Amino acid sequence: MSLPCGIRNFSYHTDIAIIRTKTQWVLFILFMLALSVLPFYLPRSWFDTVNSIGILLIAVVGLNILMGYCGQLSLGHAGFMAIGAFTSALLTGNLHVPFLLALIISGLSAGLIGLIFGIPSLRVKGFYLAIATIAAQFIIIWILQNWTDITHGSNGLDVLPASIFNWQFDSEIKQFYLIFTFTIISVLFATNLARSRIGRAFIAIRDNDLAAEVMGINVFRYKLLAFFLGCFLAGIAGSLYAQYRGHISYEDFTFQQSILYIGMLIIGGLGSSLGPILGTVIIETLQKSLTNTIAPWLEHTMTFMPTGFSSGLNLMLFGLAIILILIFEPRGLAHLWALFKSSYRMWPFSY
Amino acid sequence: MDILIQNIITGTATGMVYALIALGFALIWKSSRVANLALGQLVLISSWFAYSMLVQFKFPFWLGMLLTIAFAILLGWLIERLALRPLIGQPILSLIAITLGLAYFLEGLTAFIWPQGQGNLPKVFPQTSFQIGPAMIQQELLWAAVISLILFILLSVFFKYHRMGIAMRATADDQLAVQACAVPVNRVFSMSWIFACVVAAIGGVLISSIAAINYGLVETGFKSFSVVILGGMESFLGCIVAGPIIGLCETFGGSQFGSSVKELIPFIIIVIVIMIKPFGLFGEERIERI
Amino acid sequence: MKKSRTVLAVTLILLLASLVTLVSACTTQPPAEKKAFKLGLSIPLTGPAAEKGAPIGHGQLDAFKYINDELGGVAGYKIDPVWYDTNYDSQKATDIAKQLMTDGCLFFTVVASKDMSSSQVIANNAGFPGMVCFSSPSNTHPPAHIYAQLPDYGDDWTAFTKYYLKNIWKGQGKPKMALELLSNSTGFGVRDAARAMADQLGIEIVDTEQHTAKTISETDALNRIKAKNPDILFISSTPAPTAIILKNAYDLKMIPGMTVACAHASFTKALIDAAGKDITQDVFGVYPTVNFGDDVPGMAKMVEYCKAQHPEYLGNNDYLVGWASSLVNAEVLKQAIQNSNVEDLLKGDATSWKLAETNGFMKVKGYDVGGLQGPVDFSDTLDKRGSKSVKIFQIQNGQMVSLSGWVDAPNIQYETLDWFGK
Repeated sequence: MSLPCGIRNFSYHTDIAIIRTKTQWVLFILFMLALSVLPFYLPRSWFDTVNSIGILLIAVVGLNILMGYCGQLSLGHAGFMAIGAFTSALLTGNLHVPFLLALIISGLSAGLIGLIFGIPSLRVKGFYLAIATIAAQFIIIWILQNWTDITHGSNGLDVLPASIFNWQFDSEIKQFYLIFTFTIISVLFATNLARSRIGRAFIAIRDNDLAAEVMGINVFRYKLLAFFLGCFLAGIAGSLYAQYRGHISYEDFTFQQSILYIGMLIIGGLGSSLGPILGTVIIETLQKSLTNTIAPWLEHTMTFMPTGFSSGLNLMLFGLAIILILIFEPRGLAHLWALFKSSYRMWPFSY
Repeated sequence: MDILIQNIITGTATGMVYALIALGFALIWKSSRVANLALGQLVLISSWFAYSMLVQFKFPFWLGMLLTIAFAILLGWLIERLALRPLIGQPILSLIAITLGLAYFLEGLTAFIWPQGQGNLPKVFPQTSFQIGPAMIQQELLWAAVISLILFILLSVFFKYHRMGIAMRATADDQLAVQACAVPVNRVFSMSWIFACVVAAIGGVLISSIAAINYGLVETGFKSFSVVILGGMESFLGCIVAGPIIGLCETFGGSQFGSSVKELIPFIIIVIVIMIKPFGLFGEERIERI
Repeated sequence: MKKSRTVLAVTLILLLASLVTLVSACTTQPPAEKKAFKLGLSIPLTGPAAEKGAPIGHGQLDAFKYINDELGGVAGYKIDPVWYDTNYDSQKATDIAKQLMTDGCLFFTVVASKDMSSSQVIANNAGFPGMVCFSSPSNTHPPAHIYAQLPDYGDDWTAFTKYYLKNIWKGQGKPKMALELLSNSTGFGVRDAARAMADQLGIEIVDTEQHTAKTISETDALNRIKAKNPDILFISSTPAPTAIILKNAYDLKMIPGMTVACAHASFTKALIDAAGKDITQDVFGVYPTVNFGDDVPGMAKMVEYCKAQHPEYLGNNDYLVGWASSLVNAEVLKQAIQNSNVEDLLKGDATSWKLAETNGFMKVKGYDVGGLQGPVDFSDTLDKRGSKSVKIFQIQNGQMVSLSGWVDAPNIQYETLDWFGK
């Protein structure tokens, strides 16, 4: 990471800090302040989008650990999220477990299931692993669909909003603070993880797993750890999703969702801490405004097209965005941002 | 007993349909080592195109089918030229991701042009069913099986003896060495995508004339992955052998454990194969070096 | 240099795209019109159920057009239909219910039972009244704020079974029936009804098979059914899978011979188009409205609009359901306006929803919908179904022929059965 001109490190402590200059501190504090008062000036119709972004971001950060840092493809992330969602719903609904405990257990259970489907990663990679995780997605959803005694099949489960120590999170504003607390924790966790021994081992495995093994990294252990952590965060996201939505069924966690998360990550930028944030915010905002505002508007104005044409628009633009990003900027928007920052620092001497 | 024979026949025939789609996958993998996850979507879009030709514009069957194949050729060429070629030499993750992007894009495009969600092709084959011993079989399924066998033989012969086929195999093996021997690698890639799209179009028209054109075709594409995994990714023979195996497992599993289990079986097979014999029945094990 | 230019281009495009989105998101929301009631519609226009969703949705919108243009609205107030496409996707349906609440709709109408299953929790929790056109028992049981325009899929099963026992069954003892059900609320409605009522009616369910909406062959399921040798095959599914089931049953020589009946989810013109005249010959079906073109008072106007706006749906009973649904909506609105303070209703918030329900829905009693469907009555607090009777049809030479008058489908109190909803 390059530092602005004139900034030097005088101790190891300052060298490893995430936020290093005064300007960065000021910007960071301003951003956190803006985020914490966001609910008070946000229009009502945007709450749903913002809260969904918060939840999805946790899942995508998890996927980033797995895919961005460790290089293990998971096409079943929505399935792991479903496990978290159902565990949490059943624990809080049937067994009256306190929400925070249920949240952690649902993370753990998703992580454990993730471990099982991560085992093939020892022997296979690339496309084989992708197919194994596709199978994971379909098997998990099938079980949730057919184990009707517990999951109630297509009727789905009703979930009460979370409550912590008798404090009910029953409005969108309260939900915002609940969700974003966990979002910030998981983003910070992932950022720091990437800079630790574990994170470096992940990156070594991603770049060349044989070489990593020769260097003395226990590849199997770290691959499984990556699966566990990635799916753990997916489980947390699922749990938050369940209590936010109030009703879950297996149909909420489709294969398309899994691809959506991968797409968000690729568009944002694999293997960077900024990538998931950019990807999730931009794609989710686009998606919501497309379905809720632009698509109905197009349908009403362009009546010469067959009715319902706009439903394809969403998928088409999203697919196109993935293709374009992969062709022109495989490192995603985060890299573009980094390029912009460095050229801004060097300006007007761009070389 | 009757039911047993009936199950064997239905299972084999449905399995051949999966095999047909899987052939398109193996084709691309064999020549360019790209895993095409947009398999089902290619089937979907070419079936809808055939629908437009045959139902909306009311062309005679032979003309509609010719146009559909022409469309598939164009589609394959465009996909390779615009999406895949810029990514030559990129890591496998990008290659998988771009086919996912492609899958999304094609699905969106179909929903954009044909938002009706459901279409019925005119019946290609006679509707009467065959009697084989005590069992019945839909003639359409039988034809699908025959056509996938023919395609299998054609493709195998092509890859074994034709110059282009040999070039394709060589390209998969070592792109740089092949380039040094003046093989036009770009054309090899183009050709493989074009072939794959044509196979997908034929498969699509067959399946959708049996059932209907809808998003089920995409799911049939997912099931075909189990054929690819079980058979081994680069083997046409693997597809033809594994297809009926999957079909039989589905039918027998369904009749043993109830019809909802049927949907699960291909995916269970994927997991088992990947855990035990990841390179499938006829696939070659790849040994890596640092 | 070339690289950086492309980078710049991509950034600009993405930035522009997001800007356009943001700007249009802020500007295209139409300014709240005075003196118009917003009614929400959630329609599966595209996706796997589009062949039913599209005619219903167009029927609904055409009927609103008719109400606004020719009747001058309801009691002088125009109706502003706010509609979204659900794509038959559960998550989208939930989003849409939320969106309709924030849009300030007075109440909302959902076309598909599955979409309602995903929307109803949010609506019930907020007290946002809703109506569902094609319903399943799980939508209206236990009774809350969701109303059904028509009897549910379970009622199809009871009505047909009663009809069968009375008019067709000539044998000894209990007739045997097999069920072929779509694995979502469409099929499960029938499963629940059969579970609750089979013993009471005196019929034996010998086999229950499930299929997905995307099946390409049901031969093996039908083989299992054939082995049990039932007298009746009852199908509750959407048109495409039903066509496949009928075709396979024809190939296996189960039909003609066995009595086959379909619930109203698949019993439309689309089924005959997909399976053909020969195969669908003599198939029974249950439908909760009169036939398209029947001689009832409300028919002429509907046919006129259908011809002018959507001639492709002529003869499609789903269009009729959509049209009737909007008429019922208008009636609910009329009652609400008559019985409460209009200013409160126009707010479109929790107070208006409560008024819409207590002074609107609950006051609708014996509204005949121009004879298009059974009379609508929402006043019963335990039975949230509007009309409570269906008609039995049979396909003869590619036409749906009505065999009976209205057959009653009494309310089953599912909520008292301990297995319900599991």
